Formats: sequence, C-alpha cells, structure tokens
Amino acid sequence: MSWNVILRRIFLVDLIKGLRLTFSYQRPGAVYTEQYPLERPAVAERYRGAPRLNNHPETGETLCIACNLCSLACPENLIVVGWARTEDRKKRLTTFTYDLSRCMFCGLCEDACPVDALELTQDFEMASYTREGLIWDRKALEEGPQPTRYSR
Amino acid sequence: MLQSAIEFLKANPLLLALIKILLVFVVIAGIVAYLVYMERKVLAFMQARLGPMRVGPWGLLQPVADGIKLLLKEDIIPAGADEYVFLLAPAISVAAAFTVFSAIPFAGNFYVTDINIGLLFVLAVSSLGIYGIILGGWSSNSHYPLLGALRSSAQLVSYEVAAGMALVGVLLISNSLSMVEIVRRQLAMGVWNVFLQPLALVIYVIAAVAETNRNPFDLPEAESELTAGFHTEYSGFRFALYFLAEYTNMVVVACIAITMFFGGWLRPFASVRALDVLKFSPILAFLAGAGFVLWLGLKSRLSLERYFFVLLAAVFIVLGILVAYPPVLDAIQGIFWFGAKVLAFLYAFIWCRATFPRYRYDQLMNVGWRWMIPLALGNVVVTAVIRYLVSSHGAAHPLAWLVR
Amino acid sequence: MPEATFLDASELLINMGPQHPATHGVLRVKLKLDGERVLGTECIIGYLHRGVEKIAENRTYQQFAPYVDRMDYCAAVTNGMGYVETVEKLLAVEIPPRAQYTRMILAELQRIASHLIWLGTHALDLGAMTPVFYTFREREEILKIFEKYCGARLTTHAFRIGGLQYDLYDGFEKEVVKFCDYFLPKVDEYEQLLTQNRIWINRTRNVGVLSGEDAIAYGVTGPMLRGSGVKWDIRKAQPYEAYDQVDFEVPIGEHGDTYDRYIVRMQEMRQSVRIIRQCVERLAPGPIFGKVGKVIKPPAGEVYHSIEAPKGELGYYLVSDGSVNPYRVRVRPPSLINLQALDKMAQGHLVADIVAIIGTIDIVLGEVDR
Repeated sequence: MSWNVILRRIFLVDLIKGLRLTFSYQRPGAVYTEQYPLERPAVAERYRGAPRLNNHPETGETLCIACNLCSLACPENLIVVGWARTEDRKKRLTTFTYDLSRCMFCGLCEDACPVDALELTQDFEMASYTREGLIWDRKALEEGPQPTRYSR
Repeated sequence: MLQSAIEFLKANPLLLALIKILLVFVVIAGIVAYLVYMERKVLAFMQARLGPMRVGPWGLLQPVADGIKLLLKEDIIPAGADEYVFLLAPAISVAAAFTVFSAIPFAGNFYVTDINIGLLFVLAVSSLGIYGIILGGWSSNSHYPLLGALRSSAQLVSYEVAAGMALVGVLLISNSLSMVEIVRRQLAMGVWNVFLQPLALVIYVIAAVAETNRNPFDLPEAESELTAGFHTEYSGFRFALYFLAEYTNMVVVACIAITMFFGGWLRPFASVRALDVLKFSPILAFLAGAGFVLWLGLKSRLSLERYFFVLLAAVFIVLGILVAYPPVLDAIQGIFWFGAKVLAFLYAFIWCRATFPRYRYDQLMNVGWRWMIPLALGNVVVTAVIRYLVSSHGAAHPLAWLVR
Repeated sequence: MPEATFLDASELLINMGPQHPATHGVLRVKLKLDGERVLGTECIIGYLHRGVEKIAENRTYQQFAPYVDRMDYCAAVTNGMGYVETVEKLLAVEIPPRAQYTRMILAELQRIASHLIWLGTHALDLGAMTPVFYTFREREEILKIFEKYCGARLTTHAFRIGGLQYDLYDGFEKEVVKFCDYFLPKVDEYEQLLTQNRIWINRTRNVGVLSGEDAIAYGVTGPMLRGSGVKWDIRKAQPYEAYDQVDFEVPIGEHGDTYDRYIVRMQEMRQSVRIIRQCVERLAPGPIFGKVGKVIKPPAGEVYHSIEAPKGELGYYLVSDGSVNPYRVRVRPPSLINLQALDKMAQGHLVADIVAIIGTIDIVLGEVDR
C-alpha cells in the first residue's frame, strides 16, 4: 500500500470528506422544505386532479352533450351519465355521478371528452369525512371541491 | 444580607451540597431535554429540511410536548416480565448517568464535590449504567430485547476498556486523579492536554461515541435490524427515562473529554495575559445570539412568532449588558467556556450521526478490540517511557516538552 | 419456535415479518440461522397481490395502461413504456421519431428517479440517514418535470398506444437540460458521502456475492446482472425505441458484491444523463402519434417484448384473441426474478447483512406481487 493510502486511512480522510459535505448543507439556502399550509405548492397546468364539469362561460349552461364517451372510457366504470330527450329530440344532461373514491386519476375520461366539458383540474384537496362525500353529483362537479383553508 | 446567607451556607455544608445537587440536576435535565431538540434541528438542517417548526416558535416547545405525551402514555408491562426489575432498570441507567455530574467541575469554584479520585469515580459510576441496560433487556421476557441488551452491554464494556486506557495517558501527564487538579495542571502547563496526547483524544472520542450507542456504533438499537434493542418493551415515561439516560450519557462523556483534554473551564490561552481580551467573549456571544434570533424572527411569516423573537433578542441583549458588569463577567467566565466547549462536542456527536452509516456488530467489536485497545495501550507505554526518561534526567531532557 | 432455548446452537427460525422497516414493502423473509450466521432464507410474497393480470382480461388495451403504472410504483413511466411497446409490436405500428425520443427522455429520467430511491433507502437501511433526503430532493425535480408533462408525478400514464397523448410543453427541453446540469454534481456529492467511506465499504464489500454464472442461471437481470460482470443490457442487445442511435456505456462490476452493484447503479445514473442530453439534441418537430385507430383490436396472436426497466428486464407477454380486450397479459417482473437470488446471496452472512442484501436487489413489492 502506498504512503498516500496509508496516511489517508490513519487520518480518517474519507470520513472527514463526508463530514464536510453535511456541514456545508447548513447554509441558509439549502433548506428544501415547503411548509404546507403557509406555502402552497405550484401545481402544473396539466395536473390531473379533481374533476370538474365545465359550463359555457357566457350562457352558464353545461357544455356536456351527454355522449357517454367518458363513461365508456373509464377503466373503473365510475361515471354514470343521466340524460333525457327534450321536445326537439335533443339529448340533454340531467344527472352526472362521479365516484371519486374509485377514481385513479388516469385522465382517460378527460382525453375522451369531445367538447372539453369534463376536465381534471389542479385541485388536489379533496378529502371528505364520509365515503358518500366522495361520490360527487353534478352540482359538486360544477362547483369543485371547497376545502377549508387554514391560516396556520 | 448576602454575607449572612453565605455564612449560613458555610456553616451547613450539607445544605449547600443539597442546593448544588438540586441546581446541577435541574440544569442538566433541562439541557438534556433541549439537547433532543438541538439534535433534531441540527440533523434537519444537515439534511436540507427544517425539523420541528409547529409546536412553538421554531419548534422550541417540542421537548415539552414530547414530555407530556410520554407521561400520558399507557403504562405497559409485558406479561411474564419481572415487574420490579422492569421498573428498576431505567431508573438505574438514569441514576448512574446523573451521579457522574457530582464529580465534574463546571468552573474553578463551582463543582458539587472534588473527590481526590475523581476520574476513577466518574468511570466507575458511568459503567454502572450498563446494569440498567442488561436488566432492562432481561426483565422484558422477550428474546429480541435480551439479545439487544447483551450486544449493547458487550459493546459498552469493550469500549469502556478502550476509553479508560486512553484516559490513563492523560493521567500519566497530570499526576492526579482529581478532575479539578487535572484542569489546574493544564493551566500550569500552559497547554491543553489535547496537544500532548492527540492519539488519546481520538481514541477517547471514538470510544465515547460507542459508549453512548450513537451512530456509527448504534447497531444494537437501530430500527432496521432484527433485534430491536433492549428498550423494545418499554413505553411511556420509562422509555423516556432510557432516552434521557442516553442523552445524559452523551453530556457526561462530553464533559469528561472537555475536562481531560480541552482544559475544562479554562479559556483558550488561559495563561497568556496578552489575550485577556478574550474574557469579553460572553458579551459577544449574547449579542451574536440576539442578532441571530432577530434575523430568524424577521424571516418568520407569523406575526406572533416575530414578536416572540424580537422579545427573545431583547432578553439576550439585556443579559449581554448584565454580563458586562465586571464582577459578573469574572464569575461566569468558567461556566461560559465550559458550556461552549460542551456544546461544540455535542454538535460533533450530532454531526457524526448525520453523516456516517453504521458498523455491523462484529466490525464494531473488531474496531474496539483490534484497534482501539492496542493503540491505547501503545499510547500508555510510550507516554510512560517518555515520562521515565524525563523524570530521571530532569527538565533539561530533549523530550521534556512532550510531557511538560 | 423449537423446543430448545435460543442459546442452543441448533437452528433458529426467525421471521422478518411483512411489516419491517427494511424489507422495502410487505415482504416476509424466514431466516434459518445458526447463531448469527444465515443458513438459508425463504421469501413469502403475495401480501400486495392485486390481480393486475386478471384485471387486464376485462379491460380494453387503452384502459389497462393506467393499471400498469401501479406495479413498479417507483418507475411508472418504464412500466407504461413496456406495455405500450408490446401492444405496438403486436399491432406492428411505427412510432414517429419525436415520440420515440420523448419516450426515451422520460424513461431515462425515470431510471434516474428509481435509482435515487434505491440509493436513499439502501443508505438508510445501512444507517446513513442523510443521503435519503438529498436523493428525494433530486427526485422532486424529476417529478416536477413529469407533472408538467403528463399531469401526475408518480402514476404517470405518460404514453398511449401508438405514440404520445401530450406534446412537449413549452420549455421542456430547457428544463430537462437544466436538470441534467444540476444533477451531475449531486451524484458527485453522494459519492463523496459514501463511495470512499470506510464504514460503507466495510458494510458492502464481499456482502451478497453473486457470481456471473449463478446470476445467469437464476435469470437475474438488470444492475444485479451487470454487477456480477455480465455485460447484458437490453438497450444495447435488443434495442427498442431509438436506443441504437444514441451513444452510452454499460457499466459492469467485477466481484458481484453489494459494493459493485452500488457503483454500477451510480454509473448508470451518469449514463442516463448522457442519453438524455443526446435525445434532447435530436428532438425535431413532427407528429407524435402513429397510425393507430380509435379502437384497438390487434390481430389474434401472441408477442413477448421486454425493455430495460431500472430494476431489470421488464417483459410483457401478450396474447390477443382479436377482440378489444386482451386474452392474457403476463408480466415478467424483474424484482421477482431477482429476488430468487436472495437465498444464494445470503448464505453464510450475518443477520445484519440481510438488510443490505435485500436493499441491493432493489425490489418493489408492487412488482413482485402485482
């Protein structure tokens, strides 16, 4: 063994190198924590979060045409679209049920919707105290989740 | 009135001793509780995260919350366990750990007692803590704690030998077992023992880390190993006592290392008159503390925290001004330097925990028996030979500076 | 427990239960010990079995793609890539080059992310509690890129049969290159903490040795195989996507012990960065979807296709009967096959080494049990 290696072993050089690295991490900018209720995360635009049924921005009517494509696309079969025929033989959406407890947020329903009515938004705070609270009807889907915001 | 109080205390040495014991006990208990907090914070900063932040401003009330939680937990005694031993074991660990503080000098005039065989007493009593571990593991009536206890105690005993032998080197230089005398010798020699016995320091530090079951020697109590450690069956406050005992042991070995190697309560360059200006360091420390706390407070987002930190900074500044009063400054010199050195040592312990993986059990024993003990023995032999040569030839011997 | 007390020298049977901090999931390992030495191990799996392959028989080909992410949940993108390529092989459809290079970039990023989890948890099992925080911080950057691209961090469902659903977002190339520049010094940091550290070397040298012949006999693949000295990487041997057009090395080890596998995975992370940089340069505007209809009905037949997932050779054996649902999807999980070698690697070692050996095999129970 060369002298270099022997001296490095005696003077614990390898251990000191590691110590130097952990010491250098105490600099102020190194902390990576995001303190959640105070600092909210920056969610991406394409994030697949809570579903929402979109309404037309001007008329306020639902964009959904009750084509049932989302329900057929869903791997878990958790969407139930209820429709009725109006007087002029057009389909109109009546009820729309989405079971959030079985949803895996894969986005296939969003991809399937031809009119961009069903969209997975950037909301991720969807917790509920009951199992039934996770089955969203049309009204809940149009409003979106209303989480309680804590200030501390 | 102060004079009469001092006269009264001098007339009743037992009362004085009791007051000192109480003071030391309360202060050390507080330090140990906040040592847990300091460890969590320092570990967190080294790991690019924040540590406890929610329980008080910057998590300062975390030890209180943990203490309350542990007190309120259900008291579980395993079926078939030897009840009395089960209850006694943590108490033995804690008692042994705290008793050591009676022989450690915190300042030139502040120690509970100065036994003339202080070092021997300290080593012996800290070894008694091992009983707490063995009895705890055995009385749990379960294989894994017993195996963990046996391993832990074997490790502790081996490294006690290494630590003791390393300290014999210091003994040979200091001519005395009394802790106070060893520090006074360092003052007389004008140099701390670390410069005369560096190998002994390294061996002692490694042995100390192994003694207190800290990373990289904490296999017996690591969670990811099979034998989960001697304290598996303990919950609630009994577990807290073991925990307390481990951290108190950390403070104990730090205090011993400081006293033996780093000059105890002496300030750096204690015998150099020219550097007397260093005695203003406590003032600087308080002002720096105030500045740091203020900076933290300004960064905080919550107004309540900000007020708290500004208040704390004001308290520090007031203390700094108080300390500047010359009699007070002279009085707290010893304890300030002792405290600063102990803090640095504890920081080094936490730093090691953050950085290193842990040794496997057989490698651990390998390091202890094949490296530490022979090296310590070698150190003792070399020091003894040099002392002999110097003593028989007087101070004019060329090697006299090695043993002063 | 046998009749004799544990202090006897007879064989001891110890259970490393499904709930254990170091078994990387719900794995149960029964250890046969002679004192401290391990004589043999027996793995009991199935605690995470969810019937993924059975589910496949009742879903259409596109509907099954999200389920595949949940097998190896630490490396969802490569799972998806393997499945999607298998169906494309059965359909005999060509993927446009832009889609191919994007898939490669995401797959290599996922390889880095998976190796980062491995490094963090392996170091944590061996007592080093800081690398896990550093590696997870790097992983955050990768997961942010995934989130911006496809909308999810962990169960990405990034690819579709025939190409990509989403085109690259604005700034993708810049962010990926920025990540590569940011990441390489971090690998040096991990090496500074561990590679020369004497305690790390003591814990990993000559622990869990698997010779090259044994590795091939057990069917072990991935970094475990390469750590034992066998130069086999599916990206080089049977190239898929556009791996034959990028330049990278395949690191191999010498002794087949835990330390060599550690070095191999660290080098693989560096090589992944190299691949990503080359792919980013070759990205050119173009279509991202091949000629695939809305309804996917492959002709009746069977196909086997495998890719180099971070943990080894991930293979899909697909049997189609001409309908919209697959007749049978069989997954060859690399972790399960690699786990077979645990018995061979653990013999003669101490109990404390078992944790190191399980960590070095790099298993994910989601994949082992499906």
